[in-house]
Amino acid sequence: MSGFDARMRPLAVRAGLALLLFAVLPAVLAGFDRSYYYQVANLALIFVLLAASLQLVTGVAGLLHLGHAAFYGVGAYAAALLSTELGLGFTVTLPLAGLIAAVIALLVALPTMRLVSIYFAVATLAIGQMLYLVMLNWVGLTKGPNGIVLTRGLELFGFDLSGRLATYYTVAGVVALSLVALGRLSHSYYGNALRSIREDDQCADAMGVRTARLKMEVFTLSAFFAGVAGALWAHMTGYISPGDFDFGESILILAMIVVGGLGSLPGAAIGALVLILLPEVLRDLGDFRNIMVGLVMFGCILFLPKGLMGEVSALRLARQQFGAAWRRTGNGVGIGWR
Amino acid sequence: MIDPYYLQQLAIGLSLGMTYALMAIGFTLIFGVLNVVNFAHGEVYTIGAFAGLVAITAFAPPFLAVLFLALAAGAAAGFSLERIAFRPFRRFTDEASLKSRAMRESTLLSSLAVSIVVREALEIVFGSEMQPLPFEYMINAPVQAGPVTLATGDLIIFGVAAAMLAGLQYMLKRTRIGLSIRAVSNNPLGARYVGINTDRTIVMTFVVGSTMGAAAGILVGLYYGAIFPAMGFIPGVKAFVAMVMGGLSSIPGAVISALILGVSESMATTFLASGWADMVAYGFLILTLVFFPSGLFGAGRERV
Amino acid sequence: MRMRTFALATIAAFAAANLAVPALARDTVTFGYQLPLTGDTAQYGQDFRKAAEIALEEFNKGDKPFTVSIVFEDSRSDAKEGVNIARKFVDDRRIVGVLGDFTSTVSMAAAQVYKNEGMPQLSQTASHPDYTKISEWQFRNIATQAQESPFNAAWMAGSGIKTVAVIAEQTDWGQSVVNTFAAAAREKGLNIIFQENFNRGLKDFRSVISKIQRANPDAIYTGFFYEDGAQFLKQVHQMGIRTPVYSTSAAYSPKLLELAGEAANGLRLTSNFLPNSPDPDVRHFVEEWKARSNGAEPGQFPAQAYDAVRIMIAAAERAHPDVTRRSLRDELAKTTDFPGVTGKTTFDADREPQKVLAKVEVTGGQFVPAGE
Repeated sequence: MSGFDARMRPLAVRAGLALLLFAVLPAVLAGFDRSYYYQVANLALIFVLLAASLQLVTGVAGLLHLGHAAFYGVGAYAAALLSTELGLGFTVTLPLAGLIAAVIALLVALPTMRLVSIYFAVATLAIGQMLYLVMLNWVGLTKGPNGIVLTRGLELFGFDLSGRLATYYTVAGVVALSLVALGRLSHSYYGNALRSIREDDQCADAMGVRTARLKMEVFTLSAFFAGVAGALWAHMTGYISPGDFDFGESILILAMIVVGGLGSLPGAAIGALVLILLPEVLRDLGDFRNIMVGLVMFGCILFLPKGLMGEVSALRLARQQFGAAWRRTGNGVGIGWR
Repeated sequence: MIDPYYLQQLAIGLSLGMTYALMAIGFTLIFGVLNVVNFAHGEVYTIGAFAGLVAITAFAPPFLAVLFLALAAGAAAGFSLERIAFRPFRRFTDEASLKSRAMRESTLLSSLAVSIVVREALEIVFGSEMQPLPFEYMINAPVQAGPVTLATGDLIIFGVAAAMLAGLQYMLKRTRIGLSIRAVSNNPLGARYVGINTDRTIVMTFVVGSTMGAAAGILVGLYYGAIFPAMGFIPGVKAFVAMVMGGLSSIPGAVISALILGVSESMATTFLASGWADMVAYGFLILTLVFFPSGLFGAGRERV
Repeated sequence: MRMRTFALATIAAFAAANLAVPALARDTVTFGYQLPLTGDTAQYGQDFRKAAEIALEEFNKGDKPFTVSIVFEDSRSDAKEGVNIARKFVDDRRIVGVLGDFTSTVSMAAAQVYKNEGMPQLSQTASHPDYTKISEWQFRNIATQAQESPFNAAWMAGSGIKTVAVIAEQTDWGQSVVNTFAAAAREKGLNIIFQENFNRGLKDFRSVISKIQRANPDAIYTGFFYEDGAQFLKQVHQMGIRTPVYSTSAAYSPKLLELAGEAANGLRLTSNFLPNSPDPDVRHFVEEWKARSNGAEPGQFPAQAYDAVRIMIAAAERAHPDVTRRSLRDELAKTTDFPGVTGKTTFDADREPQKVLAKVEVTGGQFVPAGE
């Protein structure tokens, strides 16, 4: 292959991605100058973050989590309430929203984290539903179904960031930083410990991995990033209501990481992009577009059951593809379902 | 003397729980054999209801004929569901795939994708609104039992659920196909080695489980007079919860948990605003899991 | 760019045509309509589209200086998609006004975009008390509870009712039903002895109903749409309760009667649309509707949508030939006594419609105007 040093390659890919995210894409968006494209791009980025944060729990640690949207909602509500009731700005509400979501996750994790497999899944389902019911019915705190209108948009230490490009850069910046953090968490010894829980938790326990504690940590961490995504959504849209965070939303996020490939961060990102962009691209199909979304999802799962990415880094996949093409010896090992 | 009000709420709770139980039975059976959640079970329930509805509006047949048509539709739905959403994933028989959780989660999501397609298709064909039903088919005529008001449907649903439960227990414990279902559920590879046709057994399980799902759909649909494409969603979630609370492997356990869920919802309505009733049901689930981490009747199962 | 050239060409052509033969090349005014065409609330969106198409067809048939077209976009009643659509509409320079969305929550999420970008938005159903307070660009064509509640409270007080149980769905609209009614009832000397919200789509109301029965009110005041309404009424009937039930105009739909059957008898509610009214406008709308829906009658919501579209078109007519987002908004705000099928509509200073309400009772499976 080319003269790249093996250690340089990931760096090059990351630089490429950063360039794409912060230079190419904004340039394209600015070129079209349609606020619709900005909106879809921002929404897709928020869901990339949500999918990536769920990836940590479900993909890497192998814990099926059916209530992720609730923590997204907790973050959004925390940001909205801090902003409207206490008049705090985005700079403060963003981290606080993440922290509050994390604290609540920690509290509910304490009694439930010794559960395993499907019992864990159904416990997260119940937690998600309970948080949703609180958002919907605790009218005194959350304004219930009336939702909350936010008076303050995106800003950084008082600078207004609500312009189109500024909003994009804010969202992209927060999401990129979170992705780096999530990437570090999952591709490290820590991530390997999580993988050991996924593959065989009894064995991991026997080897001295403190599984219950790790599960609690990873659950809390993932809720933190979901909360950050919630704060982004709340400040970006300016109005939130409980319906944005119901069970269907949890399932949507789960579907994203399955389509993208469990256990792979790029997979989560691609899955989120596919499931957010597809309904928009298919708008012209009118009433039939959601059937198409379902069919595409089914097709993805059927033909690529390990996901679009699987637990292979995007890099390795690309290398295999291109390398095989160059060397003409490729038999497509590890790609897709063959 | 107990306040008749509480008796009434208890009766309502039991009847509500019964409708969940009806669905939970088939759900648990299918889970047991493949060890994956079948998200499309709610749609099988809906298909059963719509099959009955179409039959009613087209030929106005007697009640039992409607029921059997719905059952047939359920069986067909179960068969095709297995073909479309589950069988393709059994082509991976290498050890890595069998052990991989990722593979198992994808099967779970394949049934979700199928359920989205089915629901959207039903919405396009019938519209998402509640379908009007001829009133003579509804099974909600009041029945007075002492201080408690019940409906004919309560009795019918109770009868059908009891029959289903008994029939299923008989089938699982006393017949050859039941034995193979249990074998496959216990150890698919082992079952294959001793010569059980696992594919056929799985298809059978889906057919039986989906028939029961469809029966639940048409009965509950006629009971509430509410048939619409999204009708399977909430009972599906409740059946899932009941199954896990009951300990996954035990069908009577799932039924009992479904009843507990129903009663806790109706009793909670007495003390809380009805919007919060589900909170009690889910709280109950969490408590159960804290004290019985593998469900109420899931003893003897390894916690992995 | 091509768009602008095209527009210029059209204007030029129009000017030329004006000199010679009037109105040969008619220009087109475009509106956006965001509504749920798929998903759990698709039935409402599909009805709105049908109503809008009727309004559109009859306007374009007429001899008017311009034609109207509407771009329909499906929001699934999902705020994410609603905001995306709002952005799409705002970008489309042809679109000068937006109708929709169905639910208040999606309407309000989208309204944030319309507020910032300056696009008039007229919802046929958004009933959230704060919706029109978002900005000067938001209008609605639905009688708010601030208007319906005192009307209903007076009606109940006039029928000798002393104690009332109030129950409504747990949505922004249901909240406003409960809260404004409780306030209005207190004023009229009614005693609220039970007050609760239920989660939308609840199938089994019997627990709540027995709870209401235990409180033993003289009447039950309800806030629901026709589907929940049919379930509620059927189960009230099934449990043998004969307490009179009152409701809002939102439940006014022939589908309620179809679903609830004889259980609906005795239900009293308000409405500002009566399909069997002799008014020629109403006759025309009902005929057109029946022709498109296998003879079924339209309910309150489609009528509101039909009027909303026509109010929008009328404002565009007044603004013509200079139809911009700003001029359309200003003309919308001036809407006075618009003769619609839901009665005369006037937007007050807060862009709220003032409607004339009528009392209706279900008798023998029909909506019948109720006597005093």
